[in-house]
Amino acid sequence: MVDLLIKQVTEGLSPAEQRALDVLDSEVASAYSRDLERAAAAVMLAGSSTQQPLPAALAERVAQQAAAHFASPPKIGDLGAARAAAVDAARTSAASARPAPRANRSGAYGWLAAAACLVLAIFAWQRSPSPPVAPVAQQTPPPVIAPPAEKPVPPTPAEERAALLAKSDSLKIPLAATKDPAAAGVTGDVVWDPVTQRGFLHFTGLAANDPAVHQYQIWIFDAGRDKRYPVDGGVFDVPANTAEVVVPIRAELMVRKPAAFAVTVEKPGGVVVSGREHVVALGAAG
Amino acid sequence: MLQRIASGDAAAVRECIDQYGPLVWSIARRLSRTPSDAEDATQEIFLDIWRSAGRFDASQGSDKVFIAMIARRRLIDRLRKTSAEPPMDPVEALETVAWADPGTASETAIEAEQATRALAELRPEQRQVLELGLLHGLSQSEIAARLSMPLGTVKSFMRRGLIKVREYMNVDAKGVLSEG
Repeated sequence: MVDLLIKQVTEGLSPAEQRALDVLDSEVASAYSRDLERAAAAVMLAGSSTQQPLPAALAERVAQQAAAHFASPPKIGDLGAARAAAVDAARTSAASARPAPRANRSGAYGWLAAAACLVLAIFAWQRSPSPPVAPVAQQTPPPVIAPPAEKPVPPTPAEERAALLAKSDSLKIPLAATKDPAAAGVTGDVVWDPVTQRGFLHFTGLAANDPAVHQYQIWIFDAGRDKRYPVDGGVFDVPANTAEVVVPIRAELMVRKPAAFAVTVEKPGGVVVSGREHVVALGAAG
Repeated sequence: MLQRIASGDAAAVRECIDQYGPLVWSIARRLSRTPSDAEDATQEIFLDIWRSAGRFDASQGSDKVFIAMIARRRLIDRLRKTSAEPPMDPVEALETVAWADPGTASETAIEAEQATRALAELRPEQRQVLELGLLHGLSQSEIAARLSMPLGTVKSFMRRGLIKVREYMNVDAKGVLSEG
């Protein structure tokens, strides 16, 4: 078991090794593993006495990402028990990682080929659990009882989407349904502002979900990143009897050049390793 | 600082980036294949830090070790996902390691000093195995191939080295080896 714990700490485990360790796992093993991790980190610190300054542009992106993270609902609750295990979960995900598909997508394939490649890429997704985004905003009529005139009325997601769409530098990307049964009749689009890193998905025909059973999860493929690891855009729900929804995208990482957007059906809270069979919508930029 | 981050203190977030950005960036550069990968990794590591800050327990170690642990986990994940290849040539890697001086390592973190003292007791080849594995992200099999060393020997060196460091840290935690 010590050999497995050391391998886990130094290079990660294969799925079979992880399963073997899970069988052996105990409080003693967990405590030992933490000690080894601390030891490995200490060695790393001892060998890092000379450090390079963090590039200013990267520091700014990290700061922006932090601002977005702490501004996204749920705020500090996100750091609670469910989400606080994200790092551990990420490590576990590595242990169950599947080899990534090697096929590359040619720019000349056109949208359908791009979508097919995206599905392949989705097969290899290994992601940290997704933070929930704000509840799905329906395109509902204005409230029957108007608020007091002196209080500003916050815009609905539909209104925010419309405002974003009006900006000259925003992108509008059509979303197409896949052959997944849950995607039958789905149409929609993505509006994304690369400057503010804000965006919205707009759907009609997306089936209602039971949040206790599964949730929808948004993924953004960034041309500046490895396409096997799209940026998590958050999870969302579709209430029953909702024909049309507008969903804010909560990208936790900077998206430099959005190449495509996708929506999958996942377990509540999002996934560490995405399921392969429930891609309900895909959209590729230009 | 980490407790303040957990409560959403924007100033603490900025302070964390300023104070630990060079550490995270340096580790990410060393364990990533390209500068672009290192940039992505750095952002992911800080996101993990924001998410995990609430779990920091000062009685379990310094904030610097906590952050280094988070960075290592994320980078190991990325190495496993992205490539079977080592991040860089090990010969080059060895040249870039800047070990803390035993007399000044405590300025980095008390744990770094403990590790430095433990490493000083290892044979050079044992220490080299730890360097390649922990500082440069090579797997034990890769280390065996690079050093033309039996895999069992690599595992043994890694195990003994880590246990030695762990012992120093645990013993020091009890004050037995503390120099006062």
